[in-house]
Amino acid sequence: MTFAFTDEQLALAQTVRDVLRAHCPPAALRSERRPAWEQLAGIGFFGLLLPPDADGLGLRLVDAVAALEETGLACLPGPVVETAVAAPYLLDDVAKLASGSVCVSVLLPGQAYAPDADLADLLVVARADGLHLVSRESVRLAPRPGADPCRRLFDVSFDESVLLDRSYVPALRRATVATAAQLIGVARHLLSVTVAYAGVRSQFGAAIGSFQAVKHQLADVAIALDFAAPLVYRAALSVDRPVPEADRDVSAAKAAAGEAAALAARVALQVHGAIGYTDELDLRFWLGRVWSLSAAYGGSAVHRARVRASVIGGDLRRYP
Amino acid sequence: MDLDFSAAEQDFRAEVRDWLARHVPDGLPSMDTLEGFAAHRAWEARLASARLSAVSWPQEYGGRNASLIEWLIFEEEYWAAGAPGRVTQNGVFLLAPTLMAYGTEEQRRRWLPGMAKADQVWAQAWSEPEAGSDLAALKSRATRVEGGWRLYGQKTWSSRAAYASHGFGLFRTSDEGRHRGLTYFMFPLDEVTVRPIAQLDGLPGFAELFFDGVFVSDSMVLGAPGEGWRIAMATTSSERGLALRSPGRFLATADRLVHLARDASPELADRAARCWTDAEAYRLHTFATAHRLMSGAEIGSASSMGKVFWSELDLRMHTLAMELLGERAGETPWLDGFLFALAGPIYAGTNEIQRNIIAERVLGLPR
Repeated sequence: MTFAFTDEQLALAQTVRDVLRAHCPPAALRSERRPAWEQLAGIGFFGLLLPPDADGLGLRLVDAVAALEETGLACLPGPVVETAVAAPYLLDDVAKLASGSVCVSVLLPGQAYAPDADLADLLVVARADGLHLVSRESVRLAPRPGADPCRRLFDVSFDESVLLDRSYVPALRRATVATAAQLIGVARHLLSVTVAYAGVRSQFGAAIGSFQAVKHQLADVAIALDFAAPLVYRAALSVDRPVPEADRDVSAAKAAAGEAAALAARVALQVHGAIGYTDELDLRFWLGRVWSLSAAYGGSAVHRARVRASVIGGDLRRYP
Repeated sequence: MDLDFSAAEQDFRAEVRDWLARHVPDGLPSMDTLEGFAAHRAWEARLASARLSAVSWPQEYGGRNASLIEWLIFEEEYWAAGAPGRVTQNGVFLLAPTLMAYGTEEQRRRWLPGMAKADQVWAQAWSEPEAGSDLAALKSRATRVEGGWRLYGQKTWSSRAAYASHGFGLFRTSDEGRHRGLTYFMFPLDEVTVRPIAQLDGLPGFAELFFDGVFVSDSMVLGAPGEGWRIAMATTSSERGLALRSPGRFLATADRLVHLARDASPELADRAARCWTDAEAYRLHTFATAHRLMSGAEIGSASSMGKVFWSELDLRMHTLAMELLGERAGETPWLDGFLFALAGPIYAGTNEIQRNIIAERVLGLPR
């Protein structure tokens, strides 16, 4: 057993981190809808989970989960999870999916709205009669208000579509785990910038980070993150295999990551004080991302209820 | 990254499970009674006869050279089987790792085999009346005499000391500094005045110790004189120390809690399911830590995160059980478990101290 990322998995994450540092700086969050998209495409990011015969790398979700965490850490905007993680399990024979030149949004069971649908060339929409593939030309979008300026939500309607003869479950599971991984990344960034701020902001003649009332809040964030992340990594392994309890593990991961990130956001704002409550400080993008992603693909309450039903129902199987 | 046990690990699990299924006794009396203490010692001797009392130790001392992962497997099976609490805990999990790392070969040969069979049972002696969280403020002294040392002073909250045969702890041997003048001693308890202290359950789970010039030979010093603080701290965060409390105990509690909550309201059932998931998180986190340790890394201050997490999880689980059981709690083992869980956030460094350590040494916040 090696419950740690391999050198290859870490190298992929590092490559993504380098790309995002260069091409998705905080300033880009104010001016671009899809920063770093082409550069990510250039390193094969959108083909990570696609099979080799679709020009992909044929990796498992666990291979990509650390890289996905990096996209959260950088607060990367755009339908990244939908295009890179969900689409490979929804669409066959879409040329150029691996190259990143086709942008996908999804509206699967459990979602109220489709994220970044105005950027999408293709939408996959679940309806009672099945999964519909909708092209940009056939879709009507109505914007909906949301907490995240970089992850816009849309109500979707359409007249023409193609029915897809497949289950949404493999895609939804993976998108949920990928979103949980992003939440871990977003929260890690919130913790690190808040620790840095508490080390330099001085009141009463001392850095506020020297006060135990501040220290203990930040320690609690560190603990919550440290114990949520393994649930996310395990969920990736459970889905890849898949084990019979995969859905339970996915829900446990999403709920734990969402709650840990919500705590990180709450503490980040409290420790920053009024400056954190402004549009001016970049912190607002990471706060908004916590709130949008923790609601995406089922909020924490929904996933907690699923875990409860499963566990109280007697499914106490453990993987491994 | 994977979560797969090897064939050898699975065989080991099967062997342990089978042995425990045939040998685990029905509930023993509390180890904090004379009768219960003897029964727990007898159980430890039985475990030792199957080389299961200290599986991760080298064979020559009574173990079977088990890997850290195998130790975690053993612990899962041990607690799932409902086996008794470990009366040898302080020795096996705190003193032994210190002996392995800092003791002499003679000390290891002299003390470890007997510890594994519970021939000797060890009590820890860290705290003093004026030195709790601020352990380095301790005042007990050891003075040099011909062939050894004489110990003076007072220790308190010494777990197992009411019935144990030996103890270990820190004594001041010079005044060159708060942390630097301390030495790690082992000592027999027969010449120490022991005043048992009844705990919340009314039984003497710990005791006060009075040292009035008790003689110990040089062979009872662990490591070099003056190095006691460094040695004690190194092993409080060691892989087999309390800092890395094995997940098995919490997994077993979580399974039982879920069973207890199966007809509860959605609100209470949700709390049970959260605890179950948190126990899983602790297990997975520990697998990751085990991998780091087996790769040669040290956990260091990060072990404080685990201590806060498991102690608060354990208390959440038992608090919920008390709510679910109401007035019937006292008829079940949950009441004793609840009282024991209440101590978790206090011992082995209070959780307030642990959060300071996390903030300062893991996150790098200013002191």
